[in-house]
Amino acid sequence: MPLYDSASSSAGSSSGSSSSSSSSKPPPPSQQQNIDGLLAGAGYKVRSSELQQVAQRLERLETAMGSSPADFSQLASDAILYNPSDLAFLVDSLLSEFAQPPTCSSEFIAGPVNNQKAVNNAWATAELHTPQAQQNITSEQQSLNHQLTVVTAVEEDSGIRLVHMLMTCAECVQRGDFPLATSLIDDMQGLLARVNTVCGIGKVAGHFIDALSRRIYRGIGGGSVDGGASTFENEILYHHFYEACPYLKFAHFTTNQAILEAFDGHDCVHVVDFNLMHGLQWPALIQALALRPGGPPLLRLTGIGPPSPDGRDSLREIGIRLAELARSVNVRFAFRGVAASRLEDVKPWMLQVNPKEAVAVNSIMQLHRLLGSDPTRKPPIETVLSWIQHLNPKILTVVEQEANHNQPEFLDRFTEALYYYSTMFDSLEACTGQPEKALAEIYIQREIVNVVSCEGSARAERHEPLAKWRRRLSGAGFRPLPLGSNAFKQASMLLTLFSAEGYSVEEDEGCLTLGWHSRPLIAASAWQAVREARSRVTWAG
Amino acid sequence: MVVPLNTWVLISNFKLAYNLLRRPDGTFNRHLAEFLDRKVPANAIPVDGVFSFDVLIDRGTSLLSRIYRPATAEEPLPNVAELEKPVTDEVVPVVIFFHGGSFAHSSANSAIYDTLCRRLVGLCKAVVVSVNYRRAPENRYPCAYDDGWTALKWVNSRPWLQSKKDSKVHIYLAGDSSGGNIVHHVALRAMESGIDVLGNILLNPMFGGQERTESEERLDGKYFVTLRDRDWYWRAYLPEGENRDHHACNPFGPNGRSLEGIRFPKSLVVVAGLDLIQDWQLAYVEGLKKAGQEVKLLYMEQATIGFYLLPNNNHFHTIMDEISKFVASDC
Repeated sequence: MPLYDSASSSAGSSSGSSSSSSSSKPPPPSQQQNIDGLLAGAGYKVRSSELQQVAQRLERLETAMGSSPADFSQLASDAILYNPSDLAFLVDSLLSEFAQPPTCSSEFIAGPVNNQKAVNNAWATAELHTPQAQQNITSEQQSLNHQLTVVTAVEEDSGIRLVHMLMTCAECVQRGDFPLATSLIDDMQGLLARVNTVCGIGKVAGHFIDALSRRIYRGIGGGSVDGGASTFENEILYHHFYEACPYLKFAHFTTNQAILEAFDGHDCVHVVDFNLMHGLQWPALIQALALRPGGPPLLRLTGIGPPSPDGRDSLREIGIRLAELARSVNVRFAFRGVAASRLEDVKPWMLQVNPKEAVAVNSIMQLHRLLGSDPTRKPPIETVLSWIQHLNPKILTVVEQEANHNQPEFLDRFTEALYYYSTMFDSLEACTGQPEKALAEIYIQREIVNVVSCEGSARAERHEPLAKWRRRLSGAGFRPLPLGSNAFKQASMLLTLFSAEGYSVEEDEGCLTLGWHSRPLIAASAWQAVREARSRVTWAG
Repeated sequence: MVVPLNTWVLISNFKLAYNLLRRPDGTFNRHLAEFLDRKVPANAIPVDGVFSFDVLIDRGTSLLSRIYRPATAEEPLPNVAELEKPVTDEVVPVVIFFHGGSFAHSSANSAIYDTLCRRLVGLCKAVVVSVNYRRAPENRYPCAYDDGWTALKWVNSRPWLQSKKDSKVHIYLAGDSSGGNIVHHVALRAMESGIDVLGNILLNPMFGGQERTESEERLDGKYFVTLRDRDWYWRAYLPEGENRDHHACNPFGPNGRSLEGIRFPKSLVVVAGLDLIQDWQLAYVEGLKKAGQEVKLLYMEQATIGFYLLPNNNHFHTIMDEISKFVASDC
């Protein structure tokens, strides 16, 4: 029975969108596309003109539900849902799911079914968030908690003072008042001695004081910590960061899932990895492809990485190891290494893409390095996105730090970084008993130093938030490929089993983020090139 | 007897989603629930004069709360260090808010509750603390109440939340649906432990009992809610083997306790006339009255559940006014 009054629905569309505190902003997107403002405030994007239709479909769904309620939760277990903010789409997919028998192939039940089954069976009996898990604090952690509560009274004050001083110091640096800044550095070093630097604010403050010192004493052109470090060192640190906390595992896992789905039905597939490192991401994909119903495709992997200074060909060595793995699971495999010290030096012809193959371009924390600031040149990001677009890959997977570390004002970047990295360090602390933690911390510390003490081409860590990447990628001719409930569920389950309590996966309009206690720290998204009716594929450069 | 179209779409969508999540065997599809829930991050930049930030209140249980504060004219953009700056007015109400969701759904960072809490800041000129309590069925009674109690103690002990007038924290408890139920039980604990709560605000609070009441039978399945789903949520929250006359569910029932002679906070109880559990909510009000406690009932005849989520109906504006007066009366 319809309870709704459609006449009063118009009351919703223009009111309720919140205004921001700055005056010179364009009208909020909800007004631009005639999206119901009140529902937007609740997290749903529905056009006012579509409200009636959505309502009718909800009614139909309810009727269908009424006749077989037990099927409904089964439906939930089997169906893969995408982008819940888009209510019209969600309701439609549920309707078609429910209206068709499960064996019918529907684009909503996409994915590597076999692989999924194996994964699901392994975890079928795992309990989420069992009460035991929640109280499963080791005695080490308990005593640390006790220590923390005892020290809190004194430390809270010192901690807050440290933060105040850090902000003041950063402000001095921005204004160019270096004498005051250096005296603040001295004061802060003194205060640090009285604060617990093993964990909490003391630990991250120490790194920020260090980064500010570098900026003041060495200047911004001096270069990043990376400057002297070898490729080898970077790879070791990366590997430890991979092991110690779930961020990179989440990145690999989520993007592999999306790539697997994109490759469905293709016999020749080609993955282009923008940063091969130790190739940690690929064994899982190779194994998943091996288990594909109908057999694995021919897999080509092109790994991009910096050249090895000592005459070794580390890219090739990794390729050989991956080839051995592929052979052991009967996946036809070919590897090509592309040595380049900067991603912008890579040209599409180096990748030797075959027009018949399905291509996946995979970028884990690389795109932000292309946002460099030379005003005389075209930004490298535009060049690179343009050739990716022309390549017309089946999928472009992008993982980026969820932070706003590329703002023009130094103080804004500093503040944001303080927030971001203290959250990240906090999350690392919770992963007890990991020997990799110390080196993982150095990995993170290098990022901090780069964000805080470098400028110009030396500042490679130009993280931008998901919202900005969305605009950039849409503007460069890509459309989003939503990551679905299946990937979300598997990521959540992985976290529950292998990580500390406190990490959370969230769905954000088709993208997935991993964060610590409700603050997202890393975001994964997938994209496809929009093909215009008239354009033909041309090879750039 | 109509609701606006967008409200209907919103609540029907919840109903549909919730049906997907409850399994007949009593388990809950938590992953899908988290996937579907629309969440918003905290925002230290003021929007419409309100900014928010998240605080970890208890590490052991990962108990997070989201704090909402009014932005002052002098400090339009608070920085990291100033989020917990002391409140400056003579009297600042602090509203501890417990979101709804029948003990199983939603979070403090759910979009609908973030919006509601932001409204409460301006309405009550208050600091709002929204508690992300542990949910059923993974965490049964009394986890939600324990978390509420932890949050209450935390709020009461923050120097920066003390009103200048008497260096005390002026605390109100508020909640909708299961949150309303939590308000009652946390207030009870507060009274037993000597922490002062100035008032309770219960919006469509979730109560029940073993018997079937007239409103339950009359309204079953008519306005988004069924008896069957109510039963499911109680089975998920109450200790195994207990029935709905457990005092958590039925505080003035056969296993309830009398509040006679106890210094209980004054209560504002909002009941929607199209809510099938209204008989239990009205019984709650009666129970308070019989015990000599101060209670004001707002019975919104034509309202359905969730009417307070979108500001597009008269009931919404009526109760917002009343809430504002309820909190202001102590200033």
